[in-house]
Amino acid sequence: MIDVFNQIFSGLSIASILLLISLGLAIIYGTVGVINLAHGEFVMLGAYAVWFLESQFGLGLYPCLVLSFFIVGALGWLVERLVIRRLYGRVLDTILATWGLGVILQQAVRLSAGAELRYVKMPEKLSQAVSVFGIDVSSYRLFVLGIAILLLAVTYLLIFRTAFGMRLRGVVQNPEIARCFGVNTSQIYALTFAYGAGLAGVAGALVSPLKSVSPDMGTGYVVDAFMVVVVGGVQSLLGTVASAGILGELSGGLAYLSNDTIAKALVFLGVVVLIRFRPQGLFALRVRRG
Amino acid sequence: MAILEMRDITVEFSGFVAVSGLSLGVQQGELRCLIGPNGAGKTTALDVICGKTRPASGHVMFDGADITQMEEHHIARLGVGRKFQVPSVFRELTVRQNLEVALSRSPGVIGNLFRFSRSSAAEQLDKLAELVGLDEALDAAAGTLAHGQVQWLEIALLVAQDARLILMDEPTAGMTAHETQKTAELFMRLKGRHTLIVVEHDMAFIKEISDVISVMHQGRLLAEGTVPEIEANEQVRAAYLGSGGISGA
Amino acid sequence: MRTYPLWAKLLGYGVFCLVLLAVPLFISDDYLLNKFARYLVFGIVALALSISWGYAGILNLGQAVSFGLGSYCMAMALKLRTIPIQTGAEGLPDFMVWNNVKSLPWFWVPFHSYAFAIAAGVLVPVILAFLLGSFVFRARVTGVYVAIITLALLVVVNLVIIDRQRYTGGFNGLTDLEPLELFGVTFDPYAVATYYLIAISLAVALFLGLAVVHSKTGLVMQAIRADETRVRYFGYDVAAYQTFALCLSAGIAGFAGMLYTLVMAFASPTFLAVPISLSIVIWCAVGGRTSLLGSALGAIVVTGVQGSLSDTPAFLETWTLIMGVLFIVVVLFLPRGLISLIDLVPFGRRTDATPARAARRGRVSVR
Repeated sequence: MIDVFNQIFSGLSIASILLLISLGLAIIYGTVGVINLAHGEFVMLGAYAVWFLESQFGLGLYPCLVLSFFIVGALGWLVERLVIRRLYGRVLDTILATWGLGVILQQAVRLSAGAELRYVKMPEKLSQAVSVFGIDVSSYRLFVLGIAILLLAVTYLLIFRTAFGMRLRGVVQNPEIARCFGVNTSQIYALTFAYGAGLAGVAGALVSPLKSVSPDMGTGYVVDAFMVVVVGGVQSLLGTVASAGILGELSGGLAYLSNDTIAKALVFLGVVVLIRFRPQGLFALRVRRG
Repeated sequence: MAILEMRDITVEFSGFVAVSGLSLGVQQGELRCLIGPNGAGKTTALDVICGKTRPASGHVMFDGADITQMEEHHIARLGVGRKFQVPSVFRELTVRQNLEVALSRSPGVIGNLFRFSRSSAAEQLDKLAELVGLDEALDAAAGTLAHGQVQWLEIALLVAQDARLILMDEPTAGMTAHETQKTAELFMRLKGRHTLIVVEHDMAFIKEISDVISVMHQGRLLAEGTVPEIEANEQVRAAYLGSGGISGA
Repeated sequence: MRTYPLWAKLLGYGVFCLVLLAVPLFISDDYLLNKFARYLVFGIVALALSISWGYAGILNLGQAVSFGLGSYCMAMALKLRTIPIQTGAEGLPDFMVWNNVKSLPWFWVPFHSYAFAIAAGVLVPVILAFLLGSFVFRARVTGVYVAIITLALLVVVNLVIIDRQRYTGGFNGLTDLEPLELFGVTFDPYAVATYYLIAISLAVALFLGLAVVHSKTGLVMQAIRADETRVRYFGYDVAAYQTFALCLSAGIAGFAGMLYTLVMAFASPTFLAVPISLSIVIWCAVGGRTSLLGSALGAIVVTGVQGSLSDTPAFLETWTLIMGVLFIVVVLFLPRGLISLIDLVPFGRRTDATPARAARRGRVSVR
């Protein structure tokens, strides 16, 4: 029984990280319609932001979480202005351009911060295990789960309860009509892209104490995040959550039965089959055109 | 003998019934006009014939074969060609390449590996291009053509395809009066050897080309007959009420 | 945009191939020749992608799968010939001995034959591409989803090869390989014979590709790229054409993979990892994905510059950065790649001239 709980929690922990990294990607793909393959590098930059702030200014993880959101978000805004906005309506080209962007960011970090692995300290209070329902779980992983839920709630409120969110939803449904009603669509796109990038930054900051920080750490994350978004269905926040949950638990469970690598391979294979039969994802009601 | 027979076709789009219980027969060599107010289901009817849309119930028979569940390319191979409402040609390819693609008597991958453009085909292409007045634009990318020329190109593609049954969705939309006149002449030449179903709004054009008109309304066949019969039909007048009668549609 | 008469194209391709074959006459440094051979291999794999992506519009992000599988097929055959010191009892490859494998796994056995290995190097990728194509294109999965599926498959194959260390050598790949000996010629990584083999392969691939894209099949592929749906109504089986393009591309890439094993003298899971797959796409895009020669040149030039900078690591890092920028610039402003700059030369027929202009220049109208 303890084993089962352990298993569920370990799956939940994977799921919370998956959710964190895919939330930003889902928002960008769902609203701006851009497949952002540089998302992994945004995550990587978030992690590096923490490392830099911690080693240079001695800042702790908590302020870094906020700062990395704004740093990476600002970068996202810049990227949208310089590159992405020239590519609206050319989905396949956004894949290429953002992939190239990923190469640039990775390389820029490698040149400035070095290629070696960096480590980020975990806050003292969060480094012990706590007992939940009779099993020992890492309190940091609980913390990550908590932040994931918090960011999800904030995103939900932003989209469904604010004036910005209303305009955003309008733009998603019909950009032309939204423009006719005086919505500045280009500004909405830029801000959404920045917000999605900011979320990736936070995700990177959160995973930095769990894993070593390196310039190419983003590559794995972006593929994972993609699978989550595709399984969940574009434009479905709930779908993204459910899919992160399913993929997390599935990876955890399969890893328990074989090993991490095979688990991942099996999950991806499953995703491929899913796309074949339901390209719109498990939970999407409609598919974005193009 | 009817080359095309639609039997009791019903099409639904997530609850919305676009075509309901439509039965329609077209004779070999006939030029049939399909008219009706917006939303009558004309385009959907063409979609069902060429396999783009699957009906919820009913059957489509083409030359004695049931094509209801066939894939588009199988239907096309049997001899059904389609011109779309929004002109769709291969914009990145030249006019000549467009026509070569349309010459599709042998559609196999492997066979076509050993087929290169030959002079015999080139002659045929030149004739076709001349027929639609594009002989001087053969090497222009189709994307650079003017709207009317694109319409003509797509018509030429259908002639090149040499389909037995040609479905035309608003072939004269966006054409000048002169161009429309030329289209009418071309259609008169095509009919007999080919069977045509033409969806149109332009009554003057229809009067010029049609033998029999079928009128659709709210997904059903409302009336069928010659131009004078249709113009005199009370039901048709009622259906077009508010849009100024069929001649004003 | 311009179209060039076929003879001009053939001439250009021919001159390029002659230059390739003449290279060993001027370079006697084995080390340099080996490097050149490597660039040419990348040229082959890039032109293979050009067929599926540039012509048929299938963005295959997993091109490296075919490349890597070809490479492994060749490496398996060479590994089995490696002198006994580096193999265990009964000729078992060394890494299998270290992993406590007792007997040669069944799928290794046929690789004792070169003929089988060489056939497998092409056919394994082709069969995989055929299965993938039938699976994906029959369901009319297109565009972005094809890209994601191929990317996922790349990761899956890569993970499996790394994980099954007992049979694949895992992270280390297959090392310590004998050179290939065929018809009395030894294809040592630094041998001139190897260079010629690769240069001739590139030439054959170029002309083979040219024949395909100029055939009716190639034309239909381009029509599919332009408007997949429309092609169906002319009676073409779109999925069959797409699958064919994917298979042809995979077969050529597999062959290139085998050659790569010969010049590198090992096979590694990095040959079918995400970074190299990305590089192939970049080469193609930068050179010009709608031109076979452009794609090949893109690969050769990019890797060539990279190679010449590799002695100074700092420059190499900067070069990768420059590559990223160049890639984005090409995607944004030069969708047909650097080769399209050739259009600036006033030769051949413009296809983007308006028909009116064409008419003015062309024949006198009869009507």
